[in-house]
Amino acid sequence: MLAEGALAAGCRFFAGYPITPASEIYEVMMRELPAFGGLALSAPDEISSLCYCVGASLRGLKALTATSGPGWALMIESAQYALMTETPVVVALVQRLGPSTGGATQGAQGDVSLTEYSISGGYTLPVFSPSNAAECFELTVHAFNWSERLRTPVLLLSDKEVGMTTEVVDDEALQIPSLVSRKMAASKANYAPYDAPEPESVPAFAAVGGEIKATVTGSAHDVQGRLRKNSPEVISGLQRLQRKIEAHAEEMALVRPDLDPDARCLLISYGVTARAARQAVSKLRSQGVRISFLQIQSLFPIPRRWLDWAAAGMEAVFVAEENLTGQYRAALTPYLSGKRIYGINRIGSLISPTEIARAMQGVMA
Amino acid sequence: MTPETLYLSPSAQLPYCRGCGHSLVVRQLSHALERLGLPPRSVVLTTDIGCVGLADSLFPYLHTVHTTHGRSTAFATGMALADVVMESQGLKPIVMIGDGGAMIGLLHLVHAAQLNVDITVLIHNNFMFGMTGGQHSALSPLNWVTATTPDGNSTPPLDLLALLRTAHATFLARRFATSADLGTTIAGALNHSGFAAVEIVELCTAYGARWNQVTGASIEGIVEQQGQAIGELETEIERPTFRDLYRHELKSPRPKRARPAVPRINATARLAGEIRLVIAGTAGERVQSAAALLCRSALAAGLYSTQKNDNPVTQGSGFSLSEICLSPKPIEYTGMESPDVVLVVSEDGWKELQANGTLAACREETLLLVDSQIDVILPIGQMMRLPLRREANPQRAALCAIAAWLEKESLLPAEAWDAVLAAEPAERRVESAAALEIGRRLAGEVVSSS
Repeated sequence: MLAEGALAAGCRFFAGYPITPASEIYEVMMRELPAFGGLALSAPDEISSLCYCVGASLRGLKALTATSGPGWALMIESAQYALMTETPVVVALVQRLGPSTGGATQGAQGDVSLTEYSISGGYTLPVFSPSNAAECFELTVHAFNWSERLRTPVLLLSDKEVGMTTEVVDDEALQIPSLVSRKMAASKANYAPYDAPEPESVPAFAAVGGEIKATVTGSAHDVQGRLRKNSPEVISGLQRLQRKIEAHAEEMALVRPDLDPDARCLLISYGVTARAARQAVSKLRSQGVRISFLQIQSLFPIPRRWLDWAAAGMEAVFVAEENLTGQYRAALTPYLSGKRIYGINRIGSLISPTEIARAMQGVMA
Repeated sequence: MTPETLYLSPSAQLPYCRGCGHSLVVRQLSHALERLGLPPRSVVLTTDIGCVGLADSLFPYLHTVHTTHGRSTAFATGMALADVVMESQGLKPIVMIGDGGAMIGLLHLVHAAQLNVDITVLIHNNFMFGMTGGQHSALSPLNWVTATTPDGNSTPPLDLLALLRTAHATFLARRFATSADLGTTIAGALNHSGFAAVEIVELCTAYGARWNQVTGASIEGIVEQQGQAIGELETEIERPTFRDLYRHELKSPRPKRARPAVPRINATARLAGEIRLVIAGTAGERVQSAAALLCRSALAAGLYSTQKNDNPVTQGSGFSLSEICLSPKPIEYTGMESPDVVLVVSEDGWKELQANGTLAACREETLLLVDSQIDVILPIGQMMRLPLRREANPQRAALCAIAAWLEKESLLPAEAWDAVLAAEPAERRVESAAALEIGRRLAGEVVSSS
């Protein structure tokens, strides 16, 4: 469904390298993309995969690659290049159990921090995390849209349990946003490749091979794309890269809230664990427990306003996720001051609804 | 506007050290572009990291992409590949890379050569890393003194072009930066349709010349000693570029895949809540495909389903299992806290359910249908033994077990199966129908082991 979402989003270039549990996306794109007039090909490694995608995007094509944690580790250098050069590209990271080659056929949500801190300098990569097949489709379209609009790499953080589970999808119920493409440079006159009208806006794009000369560089540069050291112009360019993301954070926010105004306790989850969490919430409510639930689909930038709204009046906040140390909990904690914060964590298998309900009851009792 | 101003301005201030070969290459590249008359906007100069990475700013009218270390070839390949599906044609990426970049990005060179993408790579081989302080590289000659081999390099240098020849490169040449033929060779490379690499041997005047007793002339002797040919190398006969091959394929692409049609039937399933089911057997015995048929039948009868498969990493040996949830409502949690039904059709499957904790998670009311050949020491839940493997055959045992269970529970209307089987290929349909029939019969004859 992620691959189908990409096709619907207008993706016309894919380069991939086999890795469980992301290989299905690769296979579907290899099979389907030619019929859409696109190109899918096998790269010799993950570094090449992302470089090919960035190269194709520099020509103006929407591009996707798909990998898992070990492959993402190799791609980070090129993701930084895409961020610095403001080249749109989407990477599907289908998580599996780490560290290292870990458990290829086991699910996990252990790469959250790795996506949060991929970029030298602490820049934010937008990260969307689907919990089921339908969301794979929908969030992939969102990912492409934001990648194009903000000219930035965007991650889709799925996992083995979402990516390799077959389930029923109601096509007609899919909520598909209308498609967005990058803003193209209108004329050669005074075109500066990295010049943006506002400190948080996005420069117009000139495609390599087009009529307007494209100047692309991953090194610190002025608005003309010339290699420069610490001039104020360079520094403000570096600031703009982050400000353009932050300025659109609220617009990018995607959540599925299920709040109870009388609850004192909020459960937060994302990805596959959100499904167990939703089931745990039904179970607890059927026992008379008042509880609010927030599934976050746009992990980064953190949807602050939704978080504030959902957490208002709460005494305790639980964050359920399939990793050892509570990676997303750690990311949310600075924005939940004054609340008691608890993690519900496990590795090696899905967190069950019973486990979540029990953990919450244990604290609330 | 003279052609020259389209490329490198004659008055351009080159940023390189006095005597550095890079200056010569930049000028010869400009001459080659002029000679060919390539429109500046049809060329993208892709530079790597190192002193070569300063070259892009010298060509004010070409598209320029300054990249990361060693990856210039890969980004250029991506740009060339995009040409395949774009209406505009004939972008010519030129890569300028050093010997250090060529080694760290060796894979990208090899793959670009294999694909025969239409790019030209100029490998500036000055035997070492210059910009970072004169460290040795994989192309340093034996005994070459560098910052990191103060007593001389003892690792034999890589013959990059020989290696690229084994990757089926279609144009390979080696020249000295000082050679009068360099411009002609670069023009030949640019004019070549497909992957072209030119290794340009030069001297790093900042470090190479300082620490080694060499001159521009004596490096020719070094190359000769290394047994490396100068000039255009013989390559295999011309073969189509990637663009030609793929465009040909695009003319008659495989048709868009139709979503598998969901058979709709009038009858609906009799299921009030969720059912969680595990089917376990041996890899290659159609366990997961039988599970998929069940899910499709359930869908035909108006149910939601999820199916998760598991097998050892080897794929084709050992156990194979599917965990299924069927429900009249959309399904959230897809795991198996405690199964309602367990179907085990082989010893491999039984052992895996023991190992992964499924058997321990069974409740007293869990229904287990277990092949009678499996060695079961202690019965669990509501266990029934059926001669599935004997009566059907190992390939059909899983589907047979599903049919036996459904016969007992009468959960899905028979029309659901009919509808799903009707959508199957003919040969599969007959076999599946037979398996279902055997399962239904066995369910009637079942003897409870407890």
